[in-house]
Amino acid sequence: MRELIDHTEGINRLLARYGVKFGLYKNGNFHEQLFPFDAIPRVISHEDFLYLEKGLIQRVDALNLFLNDVYGDKKIIKDGVIPEEFVFSSSGYLPECEGMVPPKGIHSHISGIDLVLGKDKEWYILEDNLRIPSGASYPMIAREICRQASPRTFHNHLIVDNRNYAEMLREMMDYVNVGGIPVIMTPGRYNAAYFEHSFLAERTGCELAMCSDLFVEKNFLYYKDYRGEKKKVGVIYRRISDEYLDPMTFLPESLIGVPNIMDVYRSGNVSIVNAPGNGVADDKGIYYFVPRMIRYYLDQEPVLKNAPTYLPFYEEDKKYVLDHLDKLVVKDVAEAGGYGVIFGNELSKEKLSDLKELIERESRRFIAQEVIDFQDLNIMEGEEMVPRKADLRAFVLSGKETKVWASGLTRFSRKADSFVVNSSQGGGFKDTWVLSR
Amino acid sequence: MSLRFTEPVWDHYFALRCIPGNDENQKITITSRYVQPTDSMDEVTDGFGNHKYVGHYADLHRKFEYEVEGIAQVEGMRIRKEELHPMYRYPSEFTQCGPQIQAYADRMSNLEGTNLERAIQVMHQLYEHFQYKSGVTDIHTTAEEAMRLGQGVCQDYAHIMIAVLRRMGIPARYVNGLMIGEGYTHAWVEIYTGEGWYGLDPTNNLHVDDYYIKIAHGRDYKDCVLDKGRFLGMTEQTQEIYVNVEEMK
Repeated sequence: MRELIDHTEGINRLLARYGVKFGLYKNGNFHEQLFPFDAIPRVISHEDFLYLEKGLIQRVDALNLFLNDVYGDKKIIKDGVIPEEFVFSSSGYLPECEGMVPPKGIHSHISGIDLVLGKDKEWYILEDNLRIPSGASYPMIAREICRQASPRTFHNHLIVDNRNYAEMLREMMDYVNVGGIPVIMTPGRYNAAYFEHSFLAERTGCELAMCSDLFVEKNFLYYKDYRGEKKKVGVIYRRISDEYLDPMTFLPESLIGVPNIMDVYRSGNVSIVNAPGNGVADDKGIYYFVPRMIRYYLDQEPVLKNAPTYLPFYEEDKKYVLDHLDKLVVKDVAEAGGYGVIFGNELSKEKLSDLKELIERESRRFIAQEVIDFQDLNIMEGEEMVPRKADLRAFVLSGKETKVWASGLTRFSRKADSFVVNSSQGGGFKDTWVLSR
Repeated sequence: MSLRFTEPVWDHYFALRCIPGNDENQKITITSRYVQPTDSMDEVTDGFGNHKYVGHYADLHRKFEYEVEGIAQVEGMRIRKEELHPMYRYPSEFTQCGPQIQAYADRMSNLEGTNLERAIQVMHQLYEHFQYKSGVTDIHTTAEEAMRLGQGVCQDYAHIMIAVLRRMGIPARYVNGLMIGEGYTHAWVEIYTGEGWYGLDPTNNLHVDDYYIKIAHGRDYKDCVLDKGRFLGMTEQTQEIYVNVEEMK
């Protein structure tokens, strides 16, 4: 392990050369910044992984059933398990997907589930990402470079190889393919995760398509290659969000989408990974109801816990939130990427009362959570080992079966005392080792 | 409909909602259909159940037009039986509830009766208080903005009425279509009675009868735009729409 840590700088240099970067828009300008890698891995024991695996598969299966239900029969709403306003006034709900059953009935093919390990040794789910969760490529390439930097480390520890992610991804894509080539669609090199798009295309053997390489003809989707030859597309792993996907259906000003692709999709002539409309299930408001979904659809007790969450929508919860605001974390349900997260204990008296008023007025807009005291992981800061907050994004792929990738993206905060680990907020990452025994 | 461009455009995608659909209240027979120019065109249904022609034309062109003729057998003033989709209960982009809408809805809160009876009274009130005037609003005007102006066209009447009704707890949806006579397309409202949808036309203070042909419905204008296009080129464009609905004796 020491050997690996000694190579930290070299590994980071190589990562930079491979283009492992994170793009950010700040004040209208595009900046690329390196995604700092810390060589001390997060280690997950074999037993812990089996437990996580069970819980994650259960959760993602329930979320997929929920999505099928919301765009289909709406049983969970009719049965009063989830209040309808949380579903149909969510910005993630797309009526354009109404009545639509995606190929093989899968909505969330790639789910990124964010967890933390509490000081009480319990894993807690922080959020579900069912739209286009990014980040799998970082531990993939970091592992490769680490293995070169210190082969001995990987010889001496019984670590499950994580280099199979591309195979898992391709297997899933082939399963939902409706006939045609597989492509990964990127909006281009100014996207925050362009490195990942190109890396995954290379490793899965899919075409990396810019939006302008794709077009719709006679209600089928085609890819035009560099020779100008057109090939029918059977499955598209699109790395742009729903609202930009089809300017004819969603935002008309979008220049990065493919016009009329939604009609191709609705006609069952192409498989879209992940399916449009998934935002309704990873809404921070819906998060509260996931344990209920698991009981409702699977008739099982949830294996993994949610962080203790309150919904000011319910009077009882609202009262608790207003009384304990100074020790809760409040999240705006419409925001993502670490934005719109407010820690009550960091607010002045005035701001606290402003927030209370806002919660009174727009109670549907927020959730509040207990601040989980999560376990720190050590990182190297120069020569010194220091503890920092870290989370884990686990990747769950749903194809013929639901599978959990035996690795994941561990993100950490570089600032002491900060709980925000998002890479868009300047965090770094670690490799995640799952022990095979 | 015809669309003219001052400079040639190319790579033109279009999505047209110009075909009235069949349902229990109207039977449509299309006698002729002309869409030019196109390389390919398909007929699809959107998430709301509306008919749509989608297609593409790649080459340079300065003109795009379509013409549809047909016969509609309509039975108006009848409920379209359907299960309620909950999305029609909640504010949508154009029907957000701002202070003006809120105040108007509050004034209506003492109305009594069934959904339909209350909606009819809202329609009467709106017809009294809101003035028809073209040119003061455009297709991007929201219900709240139109309410503040106190003037607008059929789209604004419909948006305001929908926003107010939803605020009062009455599910409502936006409809566009055609009305007897010559001119332009029209917009009105359908309200949910408890067993199905019933049409009211706040612009004319009328129940939707046999002289209305429905084309599309949605949460608001945005869901049932009659024609949408995306083309490449630097150009000015002008659109002309001509509608003629005659009664067959």
